[in-house]
Amino acid sequence: MLLSRVADNLYWGARYLERAEDTARLVRSYTELVIDLPTSALSSWEPLLAVAGNGVMLQRLGEHHGAAGGEMSIVRFLIADLGNPGSIASSIELARENLRTTREVMPREAWQTVNDLFLYAGSNAASGVERRSRARFLGHVIGECQRLDGVLTTVMNRDEAYELWRLGQSIERADMTTRVVGVRAATLLASDGPDSKVDVHDDVQWMGLLRSVSALQMYQRVTRGPIEGSTAVDFLLFAPSFPRSVASCATRIREALSRLPQSSITLPAVDHLDAVLDDLQTRADDGAELDAAMEEVQAALVGIDDTVRDAFVRAAA
Amino acid sequence: MAHVRAQAHAWDELVAADGSPRPAARALLEQLAALEHAELQERQNLAELDILAMGITFTVYSDGRGIDRAWPFDIIPRVIAASEWRRIEVGLKQRLRAINMFIDDLYHDQRIVADGVFPAELLEQSVNFRPECVGANPLHGVWAHISGSDLVRDGDGTMYVLEDNLRVPSGVSYVLENRAISKRVFADLFAQQSILPVDSYTDELNRMLCSIAPEGVSHPTIAVLTPGIFNSAYFEHSFLAQRMGAALVEGADLVVSSDDCVYMRTIGGLERVHVIYRRVDDAFLDPEAFRPDSTLGVRGLMRSWRAGRVAIANAPGAGVADDKVVYAWVPDIIRYYLDEEPILPNVPTYRCVYPDECAYVIEHIAELVVKPANESGGYGLLIGDRATRSELDAHIALIEADPRNWVAQPILSLSTVPTLCDGEIEPRHVDLRPFILSGAQSYVTAGGLTRVALRPGSLIVNSSQGGGSKDTWIVEAD
Repeated sequence: MLLSRVADNLYWGARYLERAEDTARLVRSYTELVIDLPTSALSSWEPLLAVAGNGVMLQRLGEHHGAAGGEMSIVRFLIADLGNPGSIASSIELARENLRTTREVMPREAWQTVNDLFLYAGSNAASGVERRSRARFLGHVIGECQRLDGVLTTVMNRDEAYELWRLGQSIERADMTTRVVGVRAATLLASDGPDSKVDVHDDVQWMGLLRSVSALQMYQRVTRGPIEGSTAVDFLLFAPSFPRSVASCATRIREALSRLPQSSITLPAVDHLDAVLDDLQTRADDGAELDAAMEEVQAALVGIDDTVRDAFVRAAA
Repeated sequence: MAHVRAQAHAWDELVAADGSPRPAARALLEQLAALEHAELQERQNLAELDILAMGITFTVYSDGRGIDRAWPFDIIPRVIAASEWRRIEVGLKQRLRAINMFIDDLYHDQRIVADGVFPAELLEQSVNFRPECVGANPLHGVWAHISGSDLVRDGDGTMYVLEDNLRVPSGVSYVLENRAISKRVFADLFAQQSILPVDSYTDELNRMLCSIAPEGVSHPTIAVLTPGIFNSAYFEHSFLAQRMGAALVEGADLVVSSDDCVYMRTIGGLERVHVIYRRVDDAFLDPEAFRPDSTLGVRGLMRSWRAGRVAIANAPGAGVADDKVVYAWVPDIIRYYLDEEPILPNVPTYRCVYPDECAYVIEHIAELVVKPANESGGYGLLIGDRATRSELDAHIALIEADPRNWVAQPILSLSTVPTLCDGEIEPRHVDLRPFILSGAQSYVTAGGLTRVALRPGSLIVNSSQGGGSKDTWIVEAD
């Protein structure tokens, strides 16, 4: 017994919160990377923006803040700007708004966690832009999202509401991982070609990339060797053991939809995602191709989103 | 609504006129005396932080936008001796039993009118009488399943019923939340003395709603029908659904099918709903029966209800008795149906529908509280001795234009409770709204929502107009 309207709000609540967490991880790792690298090696914060959003946003940013592309303006845009619907502050606010209408199906502690996070972001997002307080702010956002996850894991019934939450979370997470791979891995792989000059900071860059989805340590435990671009990409896309890999997310999406009503209608969309991923495994790790391939994966995720809305929300209206 | 001329004339709920503690409040007052003001303020601040963190809010309107505000709460509770409370509880049950019989009678034989106890012209003029409900037979003959009666205490200590809210009374969620906060603030006092718990309300509500399910349904699906997130009481709607494991639905989530049953739209398809606890006013319930422009209701809901396929609490039409004019007849209604004397007194009420009483009101307006018969939330209320001459004249014009819509009462000396105001403890006026459930059995909350006017001397306790709230302790005094 889950109302279609409530299901929609839960699904989006989960996506927004996952977006906030993923963006926090991304900005945190990029900041660490930039601090590590010599000033000359990494001049631009724009790749961050490309991962988290798109060029239209960058243009908007330029109009609003003048110095587009500067660290402070980009980080503010991603963390604190309520005019950017994808910023951490906006995502948290949207998640809270969605959860306000689903309080009857979520454990009370879950709502309190999201509400706490909302209050925290409201008073700390602006100061979180500064380098010296940024890690603390982002760490807190990630921590609260994890707290919510813990609450759901430990005190929530494994019911339809729970599965919808996991569904939204997994779709958003998969999407973020593909964007990290599509933008940053593609750029790095392109610079690895035989003609390009060898970048001595490549390993640092790859570490940063893995960190941006909190995958570095787990990657090293699995591969037990120095970092290589192709195995890193492989890990992020296919590692069945790592919960943020795209393949893991796809498994989780399939599980959730199997436990929800109308799975005969919704599961074919996951079959399509699996097929895209299978096809990808046989292709070369070429930078340009990778970027295009990630767009295919993203399109498959959009296909799942569409199917789910058709089955659960539009059909009932 | 009543008013204190001088604080000395008001009855204080915790402290007797000679300054000694009332017996039920002794332990509390000893604890308060032992605390420095700074400590007390610190506890108040912590309580406010809890309220913020728990997301206990109410919604107010400003610039056409609903704004979520933290629920205002004062940590010093209002205390009532259990011995006094038991009498009030019996009085409230008596009152609601009679009111429900009155409503049922109005929609059937109208014996009370035929017998000349209730004037026929009042019924004819009633805006809340729903012809669509005539002949309907809600289970147990109960129409007002959930009600909240506002009580006030005059200077001599008499507790009066000020009004009965029989449509969609709100505030009960804050009774439970206030207690949750107050248990943290005064944990040791709860250990030392016997304070009646309030937490079972939602369970009692659930039980009552199950008791009115259509015949043959043993495990009914219950839904709370809300106008939506912009309603000022949305927090409460959500709270009650949470605590009962019920679905929280909006009109658009429901549909009445050709079998006259009500269904909700779920991700697995349509699912039958047996009992609706509606927090939407009559007029918006069903565009087929009432306001055709309503988007908050469900087309065909009245049809389903009349066919006995769904129970609605409160029943459509119950509001006919929630009327400050009908209020004036409640003592007669109790005597008529129950052949008993009212246990709880009414505040004497002048009814402007009668020319002689209207003339009295206009002549003595400066000594009276004048209120519209059909508004809630304190809007349109005039306190005679607080108003300027031009405000009085403006109200006289309103009364003359539509006399039936106005009643007036003498200015009572509303009781006070010590309240934390900017670090100092000062007396502030309070009222009390207990909640009464009527189904197969009846139930009264242990205490209720104590609302407090936060400005010195003010009588406006509504949270929408800057009022606050307190926990209410029913204490077994030794």
